[in-house]
Amino acid sequence: MTADESELRELRSSVREFLEAKSPEEAVRKLMESEPRFDPAVWSQAADQLRLPGLAIPEEYGGDGFGLVELGVVLEEMGRALFCAPFFATVLLAAQALLASGDKAACARLLPGIASGRTTATLAVAEEHGSWDPAMVSARAVPDGDGGWTVRGRKCFVVDGTTADLILVVARTVAGPTLFAVEREAAGLTAEPMETLDATRALARLTLDAVPATLVGAQGAGGRIMARVLDIASVGLAAEQAGGARRCLETSADYARVRHQFGRPIGSFQAVKHKCADMLVQVELAEAASREAARLADEDSPDFPVAAAVAHACCSRAYMLAAMENIQVHGGIGFTWEHPAHLYFRRAKSSQLLFGGPAVYHERLLDRLGI
Amino acid sequence: MESDDMQDFAAEARRFLDAHAAKAPDRTAFTWGEGDDSMAYFSSLPPDEEREFVQRAREWQRIRHENGFGWTTGPVEYGGRGLTPVHDLLYDAVESEYDVADTGVLSVIGLGMIGPTILAHAQPHIKDRWLPAMYRGDAIACQLFSEPGAGSDLASVATRAVRQGDSWVLNGQKVWTSVAQHSQIGLALTRTNPDAPKHRGITAFLVPMDTPGVEVRPLRQMTGGADFNEVFLTDVRIPDDHRLGEVDGGWTVALTTLMNERATVGSEGVGPVAAALSPDHLSALMRATWTWDDRALRARLAELLVDVMATEHLNARALRKLRAGVAPGPEMSVSKLMYGQNLTRAAHFVSDVLGPRIIADTGQWGTYAWTELLLATPALRILGGTEEIMKNILAERVLGLPKEPVTAAAKEVRP
Repeated sequence: MTADESELRELRSSVREFLEAKSPEEAVRKLMESEPRFDPAVWSQAADQLRLPGLAIPEEYGGDGFGLVELGVVLEEMGRALFCAPFFATVLLAAQALLASGDKAACARLLPGIASGRTTATLAVAEEHGSWDPAMVSARAVPDGDGGWTVRGRKCFVVDGTTADLILVVARTVAGPTLFAVEREAAGLTAEPMETLDATRALARLTLDAVPATLVGAQGAGGRIMARVLDIASVGLAAEQAGGARRCLETSADYARVRHQFGRPIGSFQAVKHKCADMLVQVELAEAASREAARLADEDSPDFPVAAAVAHACCSRAYMLAAMENIQVHGGIGFTWEHPAHLYFRRAKSSQLLFGGPAVYHERLLDRLGI
Repeated sequence: MESDDMQDFAAEARRFLDAHAAKAPDRTAFTWGEGDDSMAYFSSLPPDEEREFVQRAREWQRIRHENGFGWTTGPVEYGGRGLTPVHDLLYDAVESEYDVADTGVLSVIGLGMIGPTILAHAQPHIKDRWLPAMYRGDAIACQLFSEPGAGSDLASVATRAVRQGDSWVLNGQKVWTSVAQHSQIGLALTRTNPDAPKHRGITAFLVPMDTPGVEVRPLRQMTGGADFNEVFLTDVRIPDDHRLGEVDGGWTVALTTLMNERATVGSEGVGPVAAALSPDHLSALMRATWTWDDRALRARLAELLVDVMATEHLNARALRKLRAGVAPGPEMSVSKLMYGQNLTRAAHFVSDVLGPRIIADTGQWGTYAWTELLLATPALRILGGTEEIMKNILAERVLGLPKEPVTAAAKEVRP
């Protein structure tokens, strides 16, 4: 299904209204210091009232069958509000990994729970080194002799890893990197929270000690699955980043209009004005890059992988610049704990580096271009 | 989704273009070492070729005009179509898919900016005399605005106009005047009241360029070519009916002109300069110079391509808005700003890839030719509004930031 412009506007305003009510700054601050790092009641409401987790899951698996364009609108709003919820891990990482696996039985078994909001999920790929390249995975899976598998290894940087009900794990078999499903309660699985630069996105370290697991998709298909998941997840992340960057720009412009020094609004000084204009340029580029990539994804365009890499790089840089300059425009007040500017700064930096950062995404772009 | 009206209009434009022009060749296809390796942003044509170029532009404008696409937004009584600026931009976008003569010499300044100003401010018989001629391609117009002492601060123009009976006598110097050497008329801003605050002492005149005392001298720019002019006005006598707007009301006239200055969607995606920004071209260059595995250069290439492609996405989205009949927001200004920056970064990136091959010509295809672009790029961050002025506009008009307070000194005219 595809929403037209007015439906997208409607979606945006209902999500914004919901988040303004349920995820104001006080709520974000409270959640970022608690475990779990989200409010289960608000998560249920997001699922029951707005049907957000199932928005882009195909109808045959219990979702509403929309695409990345619609999901992008939701993620822009979530990024703007720094919404603490297992949305990104569940919908962009886990659900997309299941869909990319082409394993219809696994999709039929696992996606309806995700679509309804009953199941939260995540994807565990990176290890100590932080790379999401499946070729770097050293966790191993072996057949348990009973039709199932057991997985051993350690995973790091697992988004919402301590709370997800379902964990999709990339582990190595003789056929190469392969996707497996592991349940939260499985024997041998331990998860501990990592201390994070950005407390609004929980990351965990998992230890898998002969954990029973179910194969998802074909053995050795992990590389292909991850290429697709990273393209989609980085466009989802780009939407979050664009939303956060837009919020930083608005906050700065609002402040520059009212804050007076030397007898005039600071926004009338060109040094400040040009900072804001630079932020605007970056935000416009970021929105264009992430929205265009989402559109190309929904059209199954062959240009999508390149556009995804562009969106990831463009939005990462735009958000970082907007979050930094937002603090500078605010001056001293922007450096205080009480001011929300640092929350955006932290989110901007951690989003930029979650999938590896510039060194990785620049090469990914050149690779997608065949350079 | 295109609105029905826009769809019909685009289809009509395509029918016209199909009948009169060939489809543009695939500009993305590129083979290293083949074809013309020119990277000129400014034309720098020899005089006879330039005359031919202008003639082709006039010719194509006449065909457009005869088929109803010469002046999309113009009133019907002067030969226009009476449609909206969105139709106009849509036509440009459709036309960019075809191989037609470049009409920039007529359209950028004359048809795009001066025409609407004449329409808004001239007396009826002046409109009759010039508007149909301009949109038919017979008359080219230039903008006699900038002066040595009036760049970004245009309101400080010092060219004097003094009334003598039914005429005015103009004396002064204009600079950076594009297409003046081809123009039949020029729109001049002059100082008529040196004692009034500077915005309120300006009067605008339409100057027939063959009037005695008008002297056009080519201005050689840093690339070596001469794409602009200085125009000297010495005792130039202009009848009062060639005045646009009120006496001392010229600033309003100038604002009409400047408001009509707009970036065109899609037109930047063509020509040798667009090739300079294409991934194919840049990667071919890196292979040809054995630098394709240099990690530092690869990172810079990726950064550059991210900006280039994000800017293309911005243009594509603005174009889609146009097709749906929605006027774009700040995308156009952002795009102009990025265009100058992207080309500048591309030129310097390529220079670093080429190394010594850009400081002296080895004769190798596609290497020293980049000097043409390298030397042109500073202009892209100045012309049509400097980068600093563009940022002021974005911050003030889009973000609503306050203007700089006006000081007493800023109101004065300093000759």
